[in-house]
Amino acid sequence: MSDTHQGEFRIGSESDIVAARRLIRNAATSLGFGITDVTRIVTAASELTRNIYQYAGSGLMRWHCLTEGVEVGLELTFEDSGPGIPDIVKAMESGFSTGKGFGLGLPGAKRLMDEMTIQSEVGKGTKVQTRKWLRR
Amino acid sequence: MPEQTNSSSKSPETILGTDDSFRLFVDSVREYAIVMLDPAGHVVSWNPGAERIKGYSQEEIMGRHFSCFYTPEGIQRGLPEHELEVAAKEGRFEDEGWRVTKDGKRFWASVVITSLREKDGRLRGFGKVTRDLTERKQTEERIRQQATEIMELSTPVMQVWQGVVVAPLIGSLDSQRTQQFMERLLNRIVETNSPMALVDIMGVPTIDTQTAQHLIETISAVRLLGAQVVLTGVRPAIAQTLVHLGIDLSNITTRSSLAAGLRVALDMLNLQVVAKNAGQ
Amino acid sequence: MAIENISVLKLRDILLITVPPDPDDRTISALQDQVLEAMERYESRGLVLDISTVQTLDSFFARTIAETVQMVALMGGRTVLAGMRASVAVTATQLGLTMGKALTALDVDRALDLLKTALPRGSNL
Repeated sequence: MSDTHQGEFRIGSESDIVAARRLIRNAATSLGFGITDVTRIVTAASELTRNIYQYAGSGLMRWHCLTEGVEVGLELTFEDSGPGIPDIVKAMESGFSTGKGFGLGLPGAKRLMDEMTIQSEVGKGTKVQTRKWLRR
Repeated sequence: MPEQTNSSSKSPETILGTDDSFRLFVDSVREYAIVMLDPAGHVVSWNPGAERIKGYSQEEIMGRHFSCFYTPEGIQRGLPEHELEVAAKEGRFEDEGWRVTKDGKRFWASVVITSLREKDGRLRGFGKVTRDLTERKQTEERIRQQATEIMELSTPVMQVWQGVVVAPLIGSLDSQRTQQFMERLLNRIVETNSPMALVDIMGVPTIDTQTAQHLIETISAVRLLGAQVVLTGVRPAIAQTLVHLGIDLSNITTRSSLAAGLRVALDMLNLQVVAKNAGQ
Repeated sequence: MAIENISVLKLRDILLITVPPDPDDRTISALQDQVLEAMERYESRGLVLDISTVQTLDSFFARTIAETVQMVALMGGRTVLAGMRASVAVTATQLGLTMGKALTALDVDRALDLLKTALPRGSNL
């Protein structure tokens, strides 16, 4: 059972997106997240996994359970060696207010999760770390 | 708390507590675990409070490293060493966290570790005071649960007729409360298969930008389900705030009273209320 | 990587499609193709997409639905999204997703009723 709380998954094909969703759904559900939060987390994971597939072709998704004192959470990490994001600030704005240009899916995913950090270097790759905490 | 900084007239043994009256004090305290550690972190002094809270007798614990009080995760993360480091560098370390008794049972502890130094600044050891806060934590948990229950009770979503739910909001709305309300409203709409939802905000005194945004989000979400919201009880003050905030309510049906909203709802459902003796 | 079988039901001049719980991207794209093909073959006036079992609705899915709605409209039809789950509605709203000009209904029955009133006279339902 503790295996579902952490793991890693290689993304390399389009069908990996739905596989990633299922893995994260299991992890979030078994950690005790309610159905709405599970949906948020899975949707965010879907967006970020698709980013990897679309822009880098391949990458790695990792997840593990977090504990900080009495708080419990789930941390997801998405890493790739793709083209990188030239302007992270701009990327986080795009598609937010207009609702169009779903582009990178980053601002959407950020809205669904509690915390998100993005590290990216053009030509080297991108790493997105995001967390959601169990609401008490 | 054993703060031993001014020990010019006392011998080293006094610091470790062979002074009669001080030792008597420490030995009488049962609420706090008062423990002395050598510079490496081994237990050199124990008290009845420590035995009560952590479960070890003096014979069992003397000389052992204090990391045995920590959880496996705590040890893995290097907490014991880190806490001593901070205490040595800054004079004290204070925190709340999980600790473990001799039987492996977890308890929530409040911990203060103080570094004890000789007159010349050499590190003599550490004083550690621990308090078991499990009971306080349980009370906090209970209060949190009750707060949630109160929140749910004060924002009910009630089915008043086939196809119509009513949600009277009362009190000031913060972001969290509005989000929880949104989820509850949507779930009730699906459960009761109600295409009309009357959200009454007569009892809401003020509204800020974020809450207004959440309300708009709620209305959008209801539409995605295939239902409609009629916002009722919009007070002048709220109307002003919403307009000043630039919130566009032009495609949301609003009415000033819940009664008027109900009329709209029934109308949209092609229903009509007719008096019993009509036509007689 | 099999495309899940999506059956398209023809009810007089309405098409009814039940979307599976967690379709992959290929299935979603194939769905769009199947819809348009059926619209042409049957000259349907309306489309009901039953999404009552759908657990995740991300931006790709939403975009494809919005496109499909537009395409169906160009072919003279109207689309109703039926039975969206509460948790999906919350998430979709937070993501800022719009489904284009799709109508929405609580379930398939209501969707069919809606199309009856939404379609101009001459509808064969």
